This record gives sequence, C-alpha cells and structure tokens, in this order.
Amino acid sequence: MLEHAGDPAQRTLEGYRRHGGYIALEKALRTMQPDAVTAEVLQSGLRGRGGAGFLTGKKWQFVPKGGSKPVYLCINADESEPGTCKDRQIMEHDPHQMIEGALLAAYAIGAGTCYVYIRGEYPHSIRATEEALVEARAAGLVGRDILGSGFSCEMWVHPGAGAYICGEETALLSSLEGGRGYPRLKPPFPAVEGLWRCPTIVNNVETLACVTQILRRGAAWFAGLGCAGSAGTRLFCVSGHVRRPGVYEFECGKFTLRELLEEFCGGTNTGRPIKGCMPGGSSFQVLSPAELDVRFDADSVAKAGSSLGSGGIMVFDDSVSALDVALNIAEFYSHESCGQCTPCREGSDWVKKILLRMARGRGTAGDLELLWDVTRKMDGTTICPLAEALVWPVQSYLKKYREDFEAAVRGGATA
Amino acid sequence: MSGRPLSPGVVARIEELWTRYPHKRAALIPALHLVQADQDGWLSAEALRATAELFDLPDQEVRGVVGFYEMFHTEPVGRHVVRLCKTLPCKLRGADALIARIAERYGVGRGETTADGRFTFECFECLGHCSTGPMMLVDEERHENLTVGDVDRVLDGLE
Repeated sequence: MLEHAGDPAQRTLEGYRRHGGYIALEKALRTMQPDAVTAEVLQSGLRGRGGAGFLTGKKWQFVPKGGSKPVYLCINADESEPGTCKDRQIMEHDPHQMIEGALLAAYAIGAGTCYVYIRGEYPHSIRATEEALVEARAAGLVGRDILGSGFSCEMWVHPGAGAYICGEETALLSSLEGGRGYPRLKPPFPAVEGLWRCPTIVNNVETLACVTQILRRGAAWFAGLGCAGSAGTRLFCVSGHVRRPGVYEFECGKFTLRELLEEFCGGTNTGRPIKGCMPGGSSFQVLSPAELDVRFDADSVAKAGSSLGSGGIMVFDDSVSALDVALNIAEFYSHESCGQCTPCREGSDWVKKILLRMARGRGTAGDLELLWDVTRKMDGTTICPLAEALVWPVQSYLKKYREDFEAAVRGGATA
Repeated sequence: MSGRPLSPGVVARIEELWTRYPHKRAALIPALHLVQADQDGWLSAEALRATAELFDLPDQEVRGVVGFYEMFHTEPVGRHVVRLCKTLPCKLRGADALIARIAERYGVGRGETTADGRFTFECFECLGHCSTGPMMLVDEERHENLTVGDVDRVLDGLE
C-alpha cells in the first residue's frame, strides 16, 4: 500500500496512474458485475482495518438488495485512536488509492454518494484528498457516468470538528447528519439503516486502499500474503520508546512482536528494557515483557489477551510508572466519552479521578478495589464500546503492574 | 465583541455545500468551520444565531452541536491557535515538559490566551502524529519531533 508513498508525484492523478492507478476500477466497471467485486473482496479474506476486524466483503453483503432507498458509502477517516497515524499516510501521500477503493466499494454496494469523513485535526489530509478529488472529477473518475460505464458516484470530503467518538461508525453517521456525535444502538446496523435511515457502509481508509490492491492484483494474491486470519499486508504505527518509530507495512504472522520491536524498530531509544507494549491502540490490553514473544498476527495477539486493533503499537520502558500510563489513558477516554450512557460518563470520570489521586500520593488502600468495582460496572453496559476501551486497558494495567499502583498508595506521588 | 452577520461569501459557500447532501442540516459542521474561519476564529452569539437562522434550526440546537466538538470556539481566541498533543505517545516523548515550558514562558495554561493576544494554547487529545511526537498544530501548520527549543522558536516567531 505504501510502495509509492515516498514519491511526491503519487499524490497527483498522473503519478498515481503511472503506477497502475485506476486500471482496477476501469476493469471492474467494464467487465465485472457488482457482486463479482464483492466476491473478490470476500475471497481475499480482507478484514476491516479500523479496529474491529470484520470481514469487509461480508459487511457489504448486509446491504439489502433491490431496495428503493439510496445507498451511501462513508469513508471513516476519523483516525483518532491514540497511537494510530496510518490512514493519514494514505491520504497525504496516496489519496487516489483510497478514492479508487471507495469507487470500487461504491460500485459493489450500489452507492451513488460517498462521504469522506476526515477528522478536523487533519488539515493536510483534508487538503490532499480534496485536491485528488478535483483531479479525479475532472478526469471523469468521480461523478456522473464514470468512464462511460453508466455508473455514477459523487464523492465529498466532510470534515469533523474534534471528537474521538466520531470514529465509531454510528457516531460518525450522527455527526455527518449534522448532530452531536452520539453512537446509536445496533441493530439496526448501518448497512440496513444508516445515514438518513438509508443503507450505509462505513469503511476505514486503509481497508479501501486494500480493496484497490485486491482488485488490481487479485484475491488469491492478497490471501497469499500474511497468514490465516490476517490476510494481506497491514499498516502499523510504532510510537513511544523505540529507536525507529514510524509507520510500517508488514505481512502478519511472519515474526513475533519482540522481533518487530527489536529488529525493525531498533529496540528502545533509551537503552532501557521494555516495560510494556500496547499492540493495537490504547483501547486494548497492554502486553508485559514476558508476553512479547507472541506471534504478530490478529489471532495470536487475541489469544494472548489483546488485539491488533487499529495498528497503533505503543512502547514504554521501565522508567515509566504503569499508573501514569493508565492515568493518561483514563484522561483520554473520560474526556472523549460522549456522555450519553451513565456508566461511561460517570465511570470514566471516577476512574480518572481515582487514578489522579493515586498519582498525587493521595490514594487509599481501598482505591484498587474501587477501581475494579467501577470498571466492572462499566463493562458491557453501554451503547458503544468506548467504555470497554477504557476498562480493558486499565484493568490490564492493574493486573500486570499491580506493584506500581500499590507503591503509589503506600506513599510517593508519581505525577 | 458581539460578532457580525455572516458574510455573503460564506453564505454562498454554505449554499454550495447544501447541494452535496439530501438534507441541508448535514452541512452544519462544515458550515460552522467556514463561519468560524471567517470570523476571527470563533463563533460569537451573533454568528451562531445567524447560522441557526440560515439552517432553519433553533439557536439551542446549533449551540448543542457546537458544544460537542473540540475545535469550535465560543469565546474570542488569539491571533493563532496552538494545539499541542498530550496523549500517550507524545507524553512518552516529552509532551509534559513542553506544556510546562509554554506555561512558564508565555504565561498560559490549557485553554488560555496570551496577554498580548498572540495565541490561544490548547492541549489536545491524540492529534495522530504518534510516531513523530511530541507534536503541535499551529493553526494548520504542524511541527513534529519537538524539543523545548523548537517550541520557543516557533511560538516566538508568531506575529
């Protein structure tokens, strides 16, 4: 996906075409039925790259056939998960790859309009995508009767305005309709009732870039990369205490997490030992040093009790208190809770405040038990998974680094 | 500072936005960005009233939307808006020291504007530049891999 991202010309239509751009779209529009595009994506084993990891082709199949309502496609470019900055690379350096994938998706599901919901804090991505759309429209690749095929699809950039929750697909739809970014109960799933109660597919940026690759090179080629459950290549953003942070494209299942961190990323930049690693953004469990020998693929990391999530790998060394990390995470989710559900609104604030008083050396012996109690009551009791996105990592820190929390309670502020 | 009505240019751009959606309400957030950019970086009571009227929405409805999103300002801001990322990857790379430095050198805490009106300082949750942190956005320009010296240089250089 990032093969040509280093070439400044790749941002332009001419540069993109030089590397085979829009050939897959042309082929699909001229020679394939929409269902054949879906079948190809299904066969490739592509899983969504936004965090949940659902089979993309399967999601598309949930759109009801032959309905009278218009169908919409939304690109989820609200990349806001702490530790994640991969979709931005595609939009800034190779936006046509995303646009081509979106057009293929729109063709497959019968969508006549696509909105690219880009977080407002990404002005560079917004600009690059808008410029690419201007070129694509002028070349007859976006808009009416694309390449003379009879298929029409409009595509517009829709900027967000600063709210993590809008990366959750139903909150994104609420926001796109012009409201507060409140998640909605599922079912109905957006594929059946989404934007303006019409069938809507929400796909992540990287997912759509993969769709382009799959239609360009074939499902078999894609399925042959990576390993079972983690087909294709994936983008990972490595951050924190590593010598070579950055956005990497990997085939999963070929090495362990420890090898990734030590060989590709050069180990810690501080020369100190790794104390913990969150392999998939801040919404999932931390892995302790003993757990780093897990094979680096979705299923193996899930078996180890965490997730590859959105591909944000964060590393910290042994100079860091686990309490401070947990507090930073709790501050994030408490700030970003939309406030709709009481357990999340109140619970996230409680967790933050308890951790804060512990960090300031004012914790009490009962605080650890209180944290367990509050987090247990948040788990599974809310409309969307934001509550669990706080509960799971915080509980994992309590479990794996209990001594850091106990030390803070015994005396000694950490922050 | 009671703000002013929407400029004809902004209204024309909002009308163009409406053509992109089946319901005009959907253009509200993009429209509020346009209004804010056109009115010194913040949304006054007057600007909100005018926007609500344009969208045939009650005032309170628009205020409810504005209040949900971090990037909208309902108080005057400085000539520049400085957004520093405070989330974990940037924190691990030294964001706390930058926040302390900005407080010490420019006398501003989170959400405050410098006495000379040069900039409003905001600590943002993850700005998505995790592998090049710590980072900040100054208006729409980004600065990455920041040191205390870089922050001094960038902020001193603002008009």
